[in-house]
Amino acid sequence: MNHIHFQLDGRHGVLSFDREGSSANLFDRAVLVELSEKLDALSAHPELEGLLIRSAKPAIFIAGADLKVLSTAQGEELRDLIELGQATFQKLAELPYPTVAAIHGACVGGGLELALACDWRVASDASATKIGLPETNLGILPAWGGTTRLPRLIGLPAALPLILGGKILVAKAARAKGIVDAVVPQENLEAHALTFLKRGKRHLPNRILLHNPVVAPLIAMKARKDLLEKTRGLYPGPEAALEIAAKSCYGPITQGFRREKEAILKLAARPETHQLMRLFFLQERAKKHRVVQAEAQPVGRCAVIGAGVMGAGIAYWLSARGHEVVLRDLDDAALAKGMKAIAKNYDEARSRRVFTPTEAARGLDRIFPTAAPVPLDRCDMVIEAAVERLDIKKKVFADLAARTRPDTILATNTSALPVHELAEVVSNPERLVGLHFFNPVHRMQLVEVVRTPQTSDSTLATAVAFVRSIGKLPVVVRDAPGFLVNRILMPYLVEAAKLFERGGDPKAIDDAMLDFGMPMGPLRLLDEVGLDVAAHVARTLAEAFPERMSVPDLLDKLLAAGHSGRKSGSGFYIYDGRST
Amino acid sequence: MADLHIIAGIRTPFCRLGSEFDGLSADDLGRHACTSLLLRTGIDPGFIDEVIFGCVAQPADAANVARVIALRSGIPEHVPAATVHRNCASGMEAITTAHQRMMAGLGDLFLVGGAESMSSVPMMFSHASALKFGELAKAKTAGQRVMAMAGFKPRDFKPRVGLQLGLTDPYSGMIMGDTAEVLAREYHITREMQDAFAAESHSKALAARDKLAEEIAPVHLPGSAVVKDNGIREDSTPERLAKLRPIFDRQTGSVTAGNSSQITDGAVALLVGSEDAVNRLGIEPLGRLTGYAYSGCDPARMGLGPVHAIALARQLTGFSPEDADLVEINEAFAAQVLAVLAALKNPVKTGHELHPVEIPHEILNRRGGAIALGHPVGATGARLVLTALHQLRETGGHRALATLCVGGGQGAALWLERN
Repeated sequence: MNHIHFQLDGRHGVLSFDREGSSANLFDRAVLVELSEKLDALSAHPELEGLLIRSAKPAIFIAGADLKVLSTAQGEELRDLIELGQATFQKLAELPYPTVAAIHGACVGGGLELALACDWRVASDASATKIGLPETNLGILPAWGGTTRLPRLIGLPAALPLILGGKILVAKAARAKGIVDAVVPQENLEAHALTFLKRGKRHLPNRILLHNPVVAPLIAMKARKDLLEKTRGLYPGPEAALEIAAKSCYGPITQGFRREKEAILKLAARPETHQLMRLFFLQERAKKHRVVQAEAQPVGRCAVIGAGVMGAGIAYWLSARGHEVVLRDLDDAALAKGMKAIAKNYDEARSRRVFTPTEAARGLDRIFPTAAPVPLDRCDMVIEAAVERLDIKKKVFADLAARTRPDTILATNTSALPVHELAEVVSNPERLVGLHFFNPVHRMQLVEVVRTPQTSDSTLATAVAFVRSIGKLPVVVRDAPGFLVNRILMPYLVEAAKLFERGGDPKAIDDAMLDFGMPMGPLRLLDEVGLDVAAHVARTLAEAFPERMSVPDLLDKLLAAGHSGRKSGSGFYIYDGRST
Repeated sequence: MADLHIIAGIRTPFCRLGSEFDGLSADDLGRHACTSLLLRTGIDPGFIDEVIFGCVAQPADAANVARVIALRSGIPEHVPAATVHRNCASGMEAITTAHQRMMAGLGDLFLVGGAESMSSVPMMFSHASALKFGELAKAKTAGQRVMAMAGFKPRDFKPRVGLQLGLTDPYSGMIMGDTAEVLAREYHITREMQDAFAAESHSKALAARDKLAEEIAPVHLPGSAVVKDNGIREDSTPERLAKLRPIFDRQTGSVTAGNSSQITDGAVALLVGSEDAVNRLGIEPLGRLTGYAYSGCDPARMGLGPVHAIALARQLTGFSPEDADLVEINEAFAAQVLAVLAALKNPVKTGHELHPVEIPHEILNRRGGAIALGHPVGATGARLVLTALHQLRETGGHRALATLCVGGGQGAALWLERN
């Protein structure tokens, strides 16, 4: 076992993490034991002037605990693992000389907890450097000292959103929060980190005015209120983390460790945790799942047909991910409206510091709006997001087929129409595929990749790889009514509408489903989607499966009266703040 | 001399100072023109040998604005870019520079044009004031700061209006309008003649709206689509224009805001190249540049620049204005265009060997000129070439002359042909 290398460099030591036979550094029992032994040896050398901790991997510092181990460990085994981690990191914290973590690449979960046990942290400014404690997303909490140490370092009010939200930060944001002490170019990382050793052991700021048995519970109370609004009490992980962070920011640090340990042992046994872990593993699998053997073709320049809500949303997302996008619509005013939506997306991303002002400006530059029938033979992918009418889509695709290269992938963003019917009008129909994005595009991770009987393996492989490359999660579906999401969602939404039709209070219906764990109530969702769009999809499904569902007359009545949802100002709710 | 083919061209709408393009920079406008042209031609921008753009008031935050335009238009990094400046002829300078590059064997396909945001020309502080601001920035202690601030006088906060400076010839000290007043006096151009000319510029542009639309690619700003030139007035009559007060010589002058070119934002992009390039791209060109000349003249009479340039171009090409099926003379000022026409009719006074020639009314500035459309100084030269070639296509004409006067005392004359 040799995952960690020690090297004496002049008067300070360097500890390099380099897990054998793996591209990532992870913590499991063996690594922790090895680290513990190395630290024992190191503490016997008080003449050292400092210790630098680094990773020998190209793009990962330490990616946390090995989740396969963590998700299966129970009872004594888990207790042992938690105690081992806490004790080992505490050994690091108690070394008699200063320590610094030189962070380049992912430094999350247990990786950050290790870094938090160092006196100083210096991070590289590379985009690969990601810093955070995502444990609560998996139903557990940082229990190797992270829940206790982070509030002590940056203060409880700053630490709570990071721990409860499981947020992952880029280096500059971590610097702004006070998690790391400096952000420098990767090439200068270790040399600069060494300069921190001269500062000596760190003395944490005295936060007695915040971190005391009177104020900390008040901070926690406010945070709990915000948290419960989001989780409705359905997620025990962040709640436990909140309680422990608030209690452990003062008093002996060992108390905090004890609380962390007790909490994670309880949480690990809960069904919510098992399901969240399972969801995580499924998502990871979906990210890597290879649907077909064919090689994906590279996709550069794209075109989006239609500058409506979906077209503009897709164009924004593609341009933000580095693609040039020809945005085509017949109407100049529609293009201007689409550009407004796109500019707003960039403004928001800029204010949330996702993009610098320059990055946002260059993203907007990558969009080329036009109402002219321009050649599209330099486009590798065309995504149609025009009106949901088969006759119009057929015209669009016949035209697209003529103005693209024979190998340009032609995709439709239809939510309900049968994709294969477009094959009739397209030359080389093996390049036809469905790419169904969801609204709002910049928030919704899932994209349905619809395969028609003619869709070639190469087209499918390219579409799947393309969806992944833009940071979305592809799910390959057959060309059947409702595809996957609407097939499941629509009967549920229609049933909610029927409850309303029978006199149900919309707020009560939505609240019941929120309590069940849905992120949004079904009637609210119908309003957001637009009743016209929903009715169209529902009708398609009802026609295909008349024995399974029917479309309530209510939808048509509401539509006829002009209540088509949020976009018209009213649907099931009136959008002036009160419900109907 | 081999001809330079004008393969394709497009421009943004031209918008009055502080109107729809307010807030857009010259590089924004240039990018709109270039991306529209690249989209419509569908060419691979990697084959462009150089991007050459004219811009007079080059933005302080986009030095070598041609390079900024090129990169922001998605033109690959390996394609170089240069900005050229010959005042009002900068848009023509970009075209003729491409021709010279081609003749020197330095490439055969160029993206050229001009871009100007006159709305963005900044206010400036005098050098003496700037020094004081420098002192203030260097001050470290409170005492030093107080001392530095005490040095300021009210006049230090009076900005120098960049636009006004740009429209003033530093050598003669005359603002452009004053040079037009000189010509009005010397060539007996009355106020009535100027106003009638100006009103006609508007009415011609108004009548040519549909034709002008063919030169234009709409600009889709977030929330508003700008689809047409906004300086053209439907209510411009000699009577209404007569009510305006002279702005340069307020007591005895005749040059008004109404019979001068408008101060405007806009950009033009042209794809130009050799015959080989045309064949390679397979695009039917708009026409070609067959000859040209730039000539210097008295800065105080810069408005006569076209006459001098036409005379020099005649020596170089053998063409004189009677050979033209169409003539575009940039309308810097009505008085100035009318003075050019008068000088061509009676060239003895100019000292050039030219036949007296009267340019027929119906072939001059058929789609209106800068009085109606506006004069984004760096872009106008390229617009004249674009509109002249479009008009040759419209009329079936063969040869056109595009000429303009240049602040600082120069003229430019370009001869264009279409088969």
